[in-house]
Amino acid sequence: MNKILAILTIILLTGCSIGGEKKIKIFSVEKPREKLNYPMPTPLQMEEIFWHIVTSENAEEVFKKLEEAGIDPVLFGITDKDFQVLARNFAQIRQKLQETNNLLQEYKKYYEGENNGKM
Amino acid sequence: MFTQIKMVMTLIMVMGLAGAGVYVMKLRADNATLKANQVKLETAITEQTKVLEQQKKDFDAIMESNKKLNVLINTFKKDLQDLDKRFTKKNRDIGKLAIKRTEAIERIVNKGGKNAARCIELASGAEHTEEELKATLKSQINPECPALANPNFVHYE
Repeated sequence: MNKILAILTIILLTGCSIGGEKKIKIFSVEKPREKLNYPMPTPLQMEEIFWHIVTSENAEEVFKKLEEAGIDPVLFGITDKDFQVLARNFAQIRQKLQETNNLLQEYKKYYEGENNGKM
Repeated sequence: MFTQIKMVMTLIMVMGLAGAGVYVMKLRADNATLKANQVKLETAITEQTKVLEQQKKDFDAIMESNKKLNVLINTFKKDLQDLDKRFTKKNRDIGKLAIKRTEAIERIVNKGGKNAARCIELASGAEHTEEELKATLKSQINPECPALANPNFVHYE
């Protein structure tokens, strides 16, 4: 009887610790960085302009037509050489825009995958 | 005397057996460690192979991207040369031409301006129209930026 009592007392005292404490497992899970996901810039919509060519011969006629159309008879002019420069400047601005847009697409494609690189 | 020898012998036997037991246990533990190491090494090799494959893919993607950008920059140079040519081809003087044929040059300049504006729209990411995509002839293309506006146009003389 005493033996049984002793065994029961031991079990009672040791309780749940018979199997030992459970070990805590620490593990790390790599979580990828959130995607920036900016939408691609909205394409530009250019407004149309009209170029008037004014020479010493047609100047009067051009101004007369402007007045008839209810437009102020005033023109902001550039020479033929400056017109070439302006055309070249615009071409360079357009190329820079295209290059920057292209770089943006390539970065998106490289870091966010093929589908995100498309516009 | 005989009893003492018997005791020593028994002790030696017991110790021998215990030693053998301990040695076997050590071998088992070593074996388990080696197996675990083997698994870790195999995992490491698989991971390294994956890393190398990814590096190769990244490198290929970088090369491809560089190639595309170089092609683009060369196209830019050609576009600017073509633009200059349009103004100066065969000693052309656009000023003198505009005096002689004012209306025709005005039409050409306005058409060019419209085309150039469309080029800017496309460069900023606008979608191509069906017409632009289908253009394959010089008369159908946007001469201000054919490479950008008409991707299916192949340059010919």
